[in-house]
Amino acid sequence: MRRLPVFLLLDTSGSMFGEPIEQVKNGVQMLVSALRQDPYALETAFLSVITFDSNATEKVPLTELTAFQVPALTAQGATSLGDALTLVADVASKQLAKTTSTTKGDWKPMVFIMTDGAPTDDWKKGLGRFQQEKWGVVVGCAVNKGDATVLQQIAGEAVVRLDTSDHSAMAKFFKWVSASVSSNSKAVETAGKEVEGLDQLPPPPPEIKVVV
Amino acid sequence: MSIVKLKATDGTEFEFDSANQAGSGGMKDVYFSKDKKQVVGWYRKKPDYNSMERLRNIVGVYRERIFQQEGGAYWEPLFCWPTHIIEDQGHIGIVMPTYKSHFFFQYGSKNDDFLSIKGKEKEGKWFASANHQQKHLDPRERGNWLSYFTTCIKIARSVGRLHMAGLAHSDLSYKNVLVDPAGGNACIIDIDTLVVPGRYPPDVVGTPDFIAPEVMATLKLPVGDPKKHLPRIETDRHALAVLVYMYLLYRHPLRGRKIHDADPQKDEELGMGEKALFIEHPTDSSNRSDPASVKPGFLPFADTSKIPYTVCGPYLKEVFDKAFITGLHSPDQRPTVQDMETALVKTVDLAQPCANPNCDQKWFVFDNSNKPRCPFCGTAFVGPLPVLNLYSSRGGGKFLPDNHRLMVYSNQYLYPWHVSRLVFPSARLTEAQRKPVGYFVFHGGKWLLVNQTLPGLKDVGTGEAILPGNRVELQNDQKLLLSPEEGGRLVHIQMANV
Repeated sequence: MRRLPVFLLLDTSGSMFGEPIEQVKNGVQMLVSALRQDPYALETAFLSVITFDSNATEKVPLTELTAFQVPALTAQGATSLGDALTLVADVASKQLAKTTSTTKGDWKPMVFIMTDGAPTDDWKKGLGRFQQEKWGVVVGCAVNKGDATVLQQIAGEAVVRLDTSDHSAMAKFFKWVSASVSSNSKAVETAGKEVEGLDQLPPPPPEIKVVV
Repeated sequence: MSIVKLKATDGTEFEFDSANQAGSGGMKDVYFSKDKKQVVGWYRKKPDYNSMERLRNIVGVYRERIFQQEGGAYWEPLFCWPTHIIEDQGHIGIVMPTYKSHFFFQYGSKNDDFLSIKGKEKEGKWFASANHQQKHLDPRERGNWLSYFTTCIKIARSVGRLHMAGLAHSDLSYKNVLVDPAGGNACIIDIDTLVVPGRYPPDVVGTPDFIAPEVMATLKLPVGDPKKHLPRIETDRHALAVLVYMYLLYRHPLRGRKIHDADPQKDEELGMGEKALFIEHPTDSSNRSDPASVKPGFLPFADTSKIPYTVCGPYLKEVFDKAFITGLHSPDQRPTVQDMETALVKTVDLAQPCANPNCDQKWFVFDNSNKPRCPFCGTAFVGPLPVLNLYSSRGGGKFLPDNHRLMVYSNQYLYPWHVSRLVFPSARLTEAQRKPVGYFVFHGGKWLLVNQTLPGLKDVGTGEAILPGNRVELQNDQKLLLSPEEGGRLVHIQMANV
């Protein structure tokens, strides 16, 4: 049976310190609980967490939901987004099952990238490596003043923004991520499109603004 | 609590609790009313002109045609039908009844509900997967195999009611049908996507697993292309057949080992569309299920050689053959929803309780053999097993076989639809027709039929009348006339397992 890999790329740089990082931790916990309560996701989704500050780290490799444990997250250092893109591409090429003549491979991975700043490393090099792999939906989420234009170059039109001063926004974001992972009705207008984007996901709640 | 008073478009007043969110689906955010008897679902995207027009008909004339006719009350528990439209500050919402409590998990998952699903909606996928059934769900939530037939009959009957009204659901899936297998209940939800052929085109092509092959195969054609297939009554027939197959066998009828493309998305579109092939096709075995590729929790159901679809009995085999072989790529040859309902109802009469108290399924369908055994746990049936073959009068003292059998077990009831060919167990049964007229019991090593209310029961061989309150011992090759009236049935008894 095909697995649906879901990568969370989370910014843990110094500027996330305090409330934002606590909200992210809480959000990841909520996401895992919500996905465990969804019979489709529970059977199909595998979740991985990659964090980036001065370096990118694979905190949790692709793990099935019943075995997933929320990692400890601390905020410090710079914003090595490029490193994170390189790492997720390396991880994907190693951990994903490819289709062979006799076995079905994994679904194309979903990627959710969250950042509250601007990258401090050579992110274009990372983007080049990222684009060598095949992805399903890639969503960027700019937190507070996070750089949406960089995210748009990674995720195209699928970039949203949330404000941590609205205390429910982070939770709503992760709830929306969980709804996006679930199997839903496909709209007539968008089903069958080659490029997967925001319009194939459930409409985001009002707390999450689509960046245009 | 944060109570908001709102007026529906027809003037009805409601009080909703904007702090009490009942849930959120893909399209709507749902809140409870103050008394929790209703919910309002707010659309995140404002419905367009066409959708509004359709909503007005759904809460209006379509609803009235089904619920405000004679016998309309029968349908109320089977649909969660929108009743009102509310407009508030540019937002559109629909008012619907709250789901009945038996559609929420009472016990949830195993090990003291390790998945925390207690109180959550019983989404059908939990029950349509062998791994969830065997590894996750609390056994008290699972029901037994017979209760899945009851559940499926209710789904088929409800969809049939829509079709009778000229409406197609268009997005049947285990998300849009709530089920309660433990109680044998089902309820169709998300009725706001109803399609009226030629009048309101569909918004959605369906949900993966249930999209009909012709819709999947033409997904990429632009909207408006005459070759593009969209949901309609024929695609509901496909979706219903998939649902029933999955609830009875815990696997998908088209998801096998065949690989069509290295790209998973393209492979999915071909495997569910243009190249769709039944995993149990009699002559083309290239898409058989692959038991070696699944986790143990999916076995034995993922192995079609261990649990073939024929365990569902001859009537359902015929319907599944039409749905997944002859009609898979020929929508006009698919079995109607009534065909499915009839097959399910007749199959219930072939059910036998399994003698093994630890059997997960607890029931099985008689396989027409002389030595019946449960296909799920392998336990053999012990003792004589009466099989009643039904014949009915067609005038002039002639009796013809009805291709309908009734298996006997202790405390099995005899109903009016067994007594007369002219009565069929459907939504239209009268109260009197729902009451048993006799029952079977195994007593002192003998099988007995106890006549409760049949005035004309007669042993044809001996000519003896068996009056209400009396009983008759069942014997091999015996013929009993259940009713001398037109359409009345004669049963010919066969003793199996002797």
